[in-house]
Amino acid sequence: MDWGRVKFFLGEVARNFTRNAGMQATAIGTVTVTIILLGVFLFVRGMLMHVGAQVFEQIEISAYFVPNASPAQEESVRTALAQDPRVLSATFISKKEGLRELRARVRGQIDTTILTENPLPDKMRVRVRTPEEVAALAKRMERMSALANVQYGQDVLTKLLQLSNVLGRIGVGVIALFLLVASIIISNTIRLTVFARRREISIMQLVGATNAYIRLPFICEGFLDGLAGALVAVLLLAVAQAELFPKLAAALPFVRLNAGAVDPLVLTWELLSVGAAVGIVASWLSVGRYLRT
Amino acid sequence: MISLRRVSLVYPNGVRALDNVDLEIEKGAFVFLVGHSGTGKSSLLRVLYREMRPTGGEIMVDGIRVDRLRRSRVPALRRHLGVVFQDYKLLIDKTVWENVAFAMQVTGARTRDVRRQVPRALDLVGLSHKSRMYPGELSGGEQQRTAIARALVNNPKILLCDEPTGNLDPSNSTEIMELLLRINLKGTTVVVATHNQAVVDRMRRRVVRLEDGRIVTDEERGYYFLGLGQSKVLSG
Repeated sequence: MDWGRVKFFLGEVARNFTRNAGMQATAIGTVTVTIILLGVFLFVRGMLMHVGAQVFEQIEISAYFVPNASPAQEESVRTALAQDPRVLSATFISKKEGLRELRARVRGQIDTTILTENPLPDKMRVRVRTPEEVAALAKRMERMSALANVQYGQDVLTKLLQLSNVLGRIGVGVIALFLLVASIIISNTIRLTVFARRREISIMQLVGATNAYIRLPFICEGFLDGLAGALVAVLLLAVAQAELFPKLAAALPFVRLNAGAVDPLVLTWELLSVGAAVGIVASWLSVGRYLRT
Repeated sequence: MISLRRVSLVYPNGVRALDNVDLEIEKGAFVFLVGHSGTGKSSLLRVLYREMRPTGGEIMVDGIRVDRLRRSRVPALRRHLGVVFQDYKLLIDKTVWENVAFAMQVTGARTRDVRRQVPRALDLVGLSHKSRMYPGELSGGEQQRTAIARALVNNPKILLCDEPTGNLDPSNSTEIMELLLRINLKGTTVVVATHNQAVVDRMRRRVVRLEDGRIVTDEERGYYFLGLGQSKVLSG
């Protein structure tokens, strides 16, 4: 390793980087904003996908028995469902069990001691092998005279998926726009540095430095801009998550938010990579254009 | 060492800077290019170090076909050449030492070689004692000597000088010319474009005279003005 060479090179990069401090700060700031948006977007998307998967997993058909259903009728429904090939499991839930489940689910949120009698009928809870068969099976159950009020969460699921789709498209658009803005600002910053150093560049060309060598310090500068912006963004996001997420979760008790759905290390890595890549590409383009002319 | 065959150069604005130029320069020669401003002296140098690509003709420099040289091979050519300008082209925020070292560092030289060759080049131009000064603290002659040290630090076989004494007073000009002569005596081929009559007349070297992009005379031991020395006038 030739340390003299490394020192010379790093010195050149440092001189570039400190030459336009104001412009450099602008470039870094833009990257920060972009990366924060990207981070929030990826985070929310991750959670939506997690919630979506949970809903999908939990799809079940629940059907209440008519209040006057006889034990024989109930038994025939259970057998019919158990023999249906589309059914994964069919569970009979008595009104007692139903109430116990309800109490457990709303504990701490709704006071269930005000219930003086059990308002729930017996019910069947059916899990299906594949979500596509839910509708067909539900239809068959509706035709059974002992069952009333057949419910399944298909409409909720569809809406959730539609919502995440729309959000995703808007997010992609906004982020693409910001990535573009960040690239333009970085590339302008680099162009200023190139302009400030045009004398050095012309001398380098005169004494036979290769274009790759001339380009390298500028690429490093763009890389540092992108990386610094992304680092600031990741730090801000980490603070925001630590501060805001518990409050958010407390405000929305029925939504099972799960911060663990998004791996923070993977997300950090992704965001830093995007920042650095934007910086490198932007500076490559702006120096390249200069060197060709 | 340098050979031009029917070289012409037409600038995009239509100006014909070089017109069918034929020129042979032997290894170790010392050649003046003279002529009024705008007669193609600088253009001739520019096609040699491939700042410009000729519009026609063949150019060989140290075994390299310059006119056909691909862009990516230009740095390799430049490392065979030293180029010196009227305005020195020094970096004002670097010391003399750093300016000279720069030419090696940006071509990827090893630090060991930089430490060995920079002092040698500074010694050759007589600036060892001013290596820590900045260009702004030097006289014009010293700045030009720094530029020459930078041009020579990579040991090129050819030194191209475009009006090297253009900004200098007579005594500094003489100093620079004596330096170029010393460099030439060590075996480097030197080509100097100038309109410094005094210098040319004193040195009595080969003088190639350009007019409107053509070589009009080529004298072995010439003077600045035509007809004072033995000449072989070319049909032009």
